Amino acid sequence: MTSIALLREEFRAPRGKFTPSYYRYLGLRDHLHTPQPILRAYGIEALFSRSGAHIHRQDLIVGCTRGASYAGPAEAVEHAKRFVASLGRREFWTNDSHFAPDYEYILTRGLPGLFADIEASRARHAADPRRLEMLTGMQIALGGFRRLISNYAAAAEGLIGLEDYDEERLSFISANCRALLNAAPATFAEGLQLVWLCHTAFMLEERGAMALGRMDQYLYPLYAADIAAGRLDDKRAVELLSNTFTKIPSSDVVNICIGGMDRDKKCRINGLSRCILRAVRACMSPGPNLSLRYTPDLPEDFFRECLESIGTGLGYPALMNDEINIAALSRMGYAEEDVYNYCMVGCIENFLPGQQPPWSDGRFDAPRFIDYVLNEGISAYNRSMGITRRPCEEIASMEEFMNLLCAELSQGAAEYCATFNAKCGGISQEALPEPFLSCFCKECIERGQDINNGGTKYPSAHGAVLMGVATMADSLAAIEKVVFGDRIATLPELRDALAANFEGYDALYAALLAAPKYGNNDDFADKYAVWFLDFLASEFDRYRTPDGGRFYVAMAANVQNIYAGQRIGATPDGRKVGEPLSDAASPTYGRDVRGATATLLSVSKPDYTKAACGTVINQKYSPSLFRGENLSKLSALVRTYFARGGQEIQMNATSRETLIDAMEHPEKYPTLVVRVSGFSEYYVRLAKEVQLDILSRTQHE
Amino acid sequence: MEANIANIQHFSVGDGAGIRTTVFFKGCNLRCPWCHNPEAIPAAPITLRYPEKSEICGRRMRDEEILADILEDAEFYAASGGGVTFSGGEVLLQAEAAARLARQLKALGISLWIDTAGCVPADAIDALLPLAEAWLFDYKSADELRLRDICGAELSRIEENLTRLLSAGADVHLRIPLIPGFNTGEGDLRAIGARLQRLGIRRAELLAFHRLGVSKYDALGLPYPYRDIPPQTPEELSRIRQVLEEYVQISIEP
Repeated sequence: MTSIALLREEFRAPRGKFTPSYYRYLGLRDHLHTPQPILRAYGIEALFSRSGAHIHRQDLIVGCTRGASYAGPAEAVEHAKRFVASLGRREFWTNDSHFAPDYEYILTRGLPGLFADIEASRARHAADPRRLEMLTGMQIALGGFRRLISNYAAAAEGLIGLEDYDEERLSFISANCRALLNAAPATFAEGLQLVWLCHTAFMLEERGAMALGRMDQYLYPLYAADIAAGRLDDKRAVELLSNTFTKIPSSDVVNICIGGMDRDKKCRINGLSRCILRAVRACMSPGPNLSLRYTPDLPEDFFRECLESIGTGLGYPALMNDEINIAALSRMGYAEEDVYNYCMVGCIENFLPGQQPPWSDGRFDAPRFIDYVLNEGISAYNRSMGITRRPCEEIASMEEFMNLLCAELSQGAAEYCATFNAKCGGISQEALPEPFLSCFCKECIERGQDINNGGTKYPSAHGAVLMGVATMADSLAAIEKVVFGDRIATLPELRDALAANFEGYDALYAALLAAPKYGNNDDFADKYAVWFLDFLASEFDRYRTPDGGRFYVAMAANVQNIYAGQRIGATPDGRKVGEPLSDAASPTYGRDVRGATATLLSVSKPDYTKAACGTVINQKYSPSLFRGENLSKLSALVRTYFARGGQEIQMNATSRETLIDAMEHPEKYPTLVVRVSGFSEYYVRLAKEVQLDILSRTQHE
Repeated sequence: MEANIANIQHFSVGDGAGIRTTVFFKGCNLRCPWCHNPEAIPAAPITLRYPEKSEICGRRMRDEEILADILEDAEFYAASGGGVTFSGGEVLLQAEAAARLARQLKALGISLWIDTAGCVPADAIDALLPLAEAWLFDYKSADELRLRDICGAELSRIEENLTRLLSAGADVHLRIPLIPGFNTGEGDLRAIGARLQRLGIRRAELLAFHRLGVSKYDALGLPYPYRDIPPQTPEELSRIRQVLEEYVQISIEP
């Protein structure tokens, strides 16, 4: 694009800041006398229909939030924002975002079908005014969405003939949008356009982490029909998909899921799965968060293509073990006809599209509870209280220590669930209906009920994200070895050493560091990781969410382990005050020193069918592993790990940036290994000029 | 029953087919000044003093200990077509222990590759010949005097052993470490190529020079003459490749 053309496009773009509440307000203010579902639906209708439809010159599939910009008086913006906020809205903990719509239903029925289904439901519930209100709200919100689509068609038509705009593209856009107004999508492009406009609508509503889910399954019938009829080839499919994915903001986490087995246990990878993989790879952006549901019968060539994509530095797709996830969700009580259709929302959270309310989760900082056992229930550093009353001088065995720790964790889980339930159950579901989102759930329409108030087939699930599995396993292994095994120190001495952040306790500190660590295929430490998941999964399963759903556990803390660590004192594994807790479900960084196989043997030991929400194992490998002959070795590594019951692995190729950073900050990369034939050495031990040799090698590869 | 071991390394991907565990036997009879495993040259234990900590390299490990360590990764070998590589040091200086372990690996159906410099008694080769699936065989120079003076190696013995392996039908992967100033001049390369051709070698793998062992030399307090020698550039590698390809098929370690 020339700079003049760019300027022209910028000139035509809507001016001002993204201000959806302004448009929402325009709808609300005229209907303040109406019941909640209808009132909120008018807000949504105005937001969708009165904000503009902005089309980029390169668009093939349209839909962005720029149209909801507003450049009017600041007073108007402030008033609208204040008023909309005063009506209240849901937040993450109260089930507002992180949802996977039932796109299969949407695509099969199309807009006219949805209107017809709502109408039919009205007839069935004619005697129930509450349900009629909800259904009216759905009609109004969906009507706004219909206007959004026709606005895009009109905008495309209005641009035809303007210089710098391609008439063929604009006609394509207009035809796709017009078709959607009158019928269910009949082509792949129409289907994709409908899905993306739905997603655009969610972005206008300011929802985050909305998933696109199993695109390779619900769009497949349209794709296959187009391919068979010669209307589409894979090159065009990839073009349309990447044209769509580039519009995902890099700040969002939009999960797209490919593969997975059906009830017949067979892998569902198809031609469209490959197109999606290639389109995500072409975007090279973190926005489209691609997940692969791995099955043992996944074709090797497809798996290698996934590994190559990961090795580009993109890191996607994340690899999920389908057998484990299906077993985990089945344990949570989902019916067999539903469980095989799960996808992920956000980063890795397992979710049944359109069958449960939006997701929520929170963090459980498990290592905090060791402090209570050692200090008679009082944590000075964390300024908090546990239930232990026994002086640690009286704890005579590992078994006694574990009993006290279990009691602490049990109490911690109870407090966590009570807090969540008070917050989530404390809001009035009637006051915060979701007339638009509810349309993406077949049962909500059938029942005439809100997505958060009885409309869904299954109740809400909440993820308790367990942090610091390796900090816990390493700490307990160190206590068993150093205190109760080798008797190098007493428990009170350990307590004092932790309180002093190990200062003046050099010998004890060295002994704690030398104790077995999680991630080296040593059961002495690994057994505590197994216990950790077993025990806490069963504790959290004792509680139910306000609408009767389950508490799942996860081990996937994003970066929260860093902040949680800042509030937790020194731990017996040798972690100092304020240092991060171990990451996600991975071993403590730098302490798994026996190679990738030993690491994966360790982390496949816990029973992940108890982690229904999901886990994350982050692993960094040398870029040369993602190329040529080594790809089959990497493939065998991951396949073996999954065959042993691993749940997830997120691989990254060590990038040039990492190598450069490691030259500056060697302390952050103690286990970064450089390998050539017959040799390996820690990168950070190499002299600067030799590190540069490696850098240039990485560049050439 | 014990062996003198420098290190056991899991998930080795540069030492043969598939995912392998490399067992580095301690002790070598050559003194190549570029060696990247200098800690494995002396048979006796040796201390590496790194700035952050000291490590002792070398311990006598019982056969069962070595096997238990190797067997941890059995599923990975099976899935990848991998196994175990005995390297060093010079593994064939401990041929008896190596053969003892190799018999157990064979009984377990685990693939064994041998990585050797080849300057060993013929009976060491014979002991491992029926037990190893393949051989990584170093060929450093065709210059008898230089090889003797600089590495302390005997060309005739290396070539006899190579011939011995080839005539027994062993799967030999010949590898040439490219050492600047030692074997990368055109004359050196042509001599190597001609010699290999005469020995009946069809293809060879080039190992590009690297100086990654420098921190080990520092930790051992030993001088390292290659400290300031940079690795070959891609252009230099392709020049070397071109010369050698007149004689044998060439691949370069990735």
